[in-house]
Amino acid sequence: MSGLFLIAARNLGRNWLRTILTVLGAAVALIAFVMLRTVLSSWEVGAEYAAKDRLGTRHKVSFIMQLPKRYIDDIRNVPGVKQATWANWFGGKDPGKPNEFFATLAVDAPSFLPVMDELVLDEESKTRWLGDKKGAIVGDVLAKKLHLKVGDKYILQGSIYPGDWEFQIDGIYTAARKSLDRSQFLFHWQYMNDLLPEARRDTIGWVMTRVDDPSKSADISAKVDKIFDERDTQTVTMSERNMQLSFMAMFGAILTVLDIVSIIILVIMLMILGNTIAMGVRERTREYAVLRAIGFLPWHIRFFVLGEAVVLGIIAGAVGVGIAYPFVNGLMGKAIEENMSAWFPYFRVEPQVAIAAGVIAVVLATTAALIPAIQAGRISVTDALRRVG
Amino acid sequence: MSTETENEHEPLASDTQQVVVPEQYRKSAVPPAMKTIIELKGVTKTFVRGKEPLTVLDGLTLDVHEGAFEALMGPSGSGKSTLLNLIAGLDRPTSGSAKVAGNDLSTMSDGDLARFRSRHIGFIFQAYNLMPVLTALENVELPLLLTKLGSADRKKRAQTALRVVGLEDRMGHYPRQLSGGQEQRVAIARAIVNDPTIIVADEPTGDLDRKAADDILTLLTKLNQEFKKTILMVTHDPAAADRATATRHLNKGKLE
Ligand SMILES: Nc1ncnc2c1ncn2[C@@H]1O[C@H](COP(=O)(O)OP(=O)(O)O)[C@@H](O)[C@H]1O
Ligand SMILES: [Mg+2]
Repeated sequence: MSGLFLIAARNLGRNWLRTILTVLGAAVALIAFVMLRTVLSSWEVGAEYAAKDRLGTRHKVSFIMQLPKRYIDDIRNVPGVKQATWANWFGGKDPGKPNEFFATLAVDAPSFLPVMDELVLDEESKTRWLGDKKGAIVGDVLAKKLHLKVGDKYILQGSIYPGDWEFQIDGIYTAARKSLDRSQFLFHWQYMNDLLPEARRDTIGWVMTRVDDPSKSADISAKVDKIFDERDTQTVTMSERNMQLSFMAMFGAILTVLDIVSIIILVIMLMILGNTIAMGVRERTREYAVLRAIGFLPWHIRFFVLGEAVVLGIIAGAVGVGIAYPFVNGLMGKAIEENMSAWFPYFRVEPQVAIAAGVIAVVLATTAALIPAIQAGRISVTDALRRVG
Repeated sequence: MSTETENEHEPLASDTQQVVVPEQYRKSAVPPAMKTIIELKGVTKTFVRGKEPLTVLDGLTLDVHEGAFEALMGPSGSGKSTLLNLIAGLDRPTSGSAKVAGNDLSTMSDGDLARFRSRHIGFIFQAYNLMPVLTALENVELPLLLTKLGSADRKKRAQTALRVVGLEDRMGHYPRQLSGGQEQRVAIARAIVNDPTIIVADEPTGDLDRKAADDILTLLTKLNQEFKKTILMVTHDPAAADRATATRHLNKGKLE
């Protein structure tokens, strides 16, 4: 058996150029596949790692409309609610780098930190921030990109809240969960509120709530919304996971397209492999006939064809995954996490995707070889031997 | 396949110049070669391609004794290859009976025919038909992959066969690194490595120059005389036919 397999593998060496081109073609397809699957899996990281005991409450009409600040007190009084905090989307930009996008949020630091417990900040920085009216903290990824360190002064240009806003960096946070955006800029809501014109004061963007029993979150959400039913501003409350899912649903069509494209890539790969294998079989008809004449059986011939395909699939899989893994994790993933962290806080090839890609390469190569293998087993020995060439 | 003759898988020889013939191959060990090993009776072969059926062999009868070296001649398209294929178990007669080495080929299944070929037939083709991706040694080893021999034994036997054909110093060469005559000798080594009962050669010297052709014919003569192989050789070359112990002519579907 091992002797037979060796011969099957040897056949790949017959036309080196073709084998190399096929391996490269299949590997490139595999790399594209791994990238797309990583986009899809990274996109879902937010929902996957969403805190199960956290609810979000926003304006019923739209995410961008504000709630009255006093709502927070009503929410804190709902039975089952452990903690509640709020945040406003500030929409600030670095005046020197207007094209850099990062999330800027005005938060209520004393209640924000316990609710967002996946945000890791050392005690010293925490104390400093809580005691510093103009203080801000930034995620480690953003800090690196903007070259910020603790103690730096920093100016944000407001768009929703116009003007230049001055801050001092009090700490750099890291993430305990992949879903947390490490490129946020967080500062005190109170600082902003105090400087706003009278009419714009005391409004909040949304409320984040922790509940003591995640299984009751639907129930609690309903209770929260019920309170505000009769007031002029109504709310929508849902679990963080559902919020992520509804956000993702907005991009559902794009995701479906990516999903389909990743399948199309596999079909292309199947065709690349199938073409090479079918060509090889056609050229070797006479050799197979000679083997049959010597006494080899049809299954031996099929074994040669399939064995060669399996080896081709293994090589293509190894090359494809071998390039895709370091490329996505080392280069592409880093760049995406730095520049698009609001969308992809965590962009890495999942081990399952890498393993699946390798397996897919072998399975596709074998599938592509099925029909050629069956045909090779069926050749007419005498006809093939008569053919000159 | 109960009636087949027993084939011991013994090495053929260990030295080219001074061939030491193993006991069982020596003349004294074989009864006077009068046993009929190929027996065709009323063999007809008709090909149907399109509408016109073409009768290539027409009630042909043939007896070949064990140990014979026979040449088969005839005009191109007269059915020489067809006849050789029937004897080698590559094809079945349309009617008539073909008994080779004790096997009734006309009634055997495809799988049994394949095993029959592996056990009893050594093929030599005009176009050598070696596997280009395998070395000379690996090409010769090929038929042994169908036996139960371990890889060390296979290698030893293949080396022995290559020594018989005088290519012990070319074992690691690929076919493209060999001359036509050398390639054909590798093919002969491949044909004898299984120690077949019968060697069938379809125009084995057709692609070779005179000198290389003579070497091949000398080798075939040696296989016949020293190793007692029954050889059936199709040829166009009268000089080649002269080396055989008998010559038959195929004409209009019958032997003359
Ligand atoms: N498989 C086949 N199908 C149809 N015709 C065939 C087939 N094999 C041989 N023939 C025909 O039979 C005749 C004899 O062929 P062949 O035995 O190859 O002749 P030779 O070897 O004597 O030149 C030719 O006319 C050839 O075309
Ligand atoms: Mg012919």
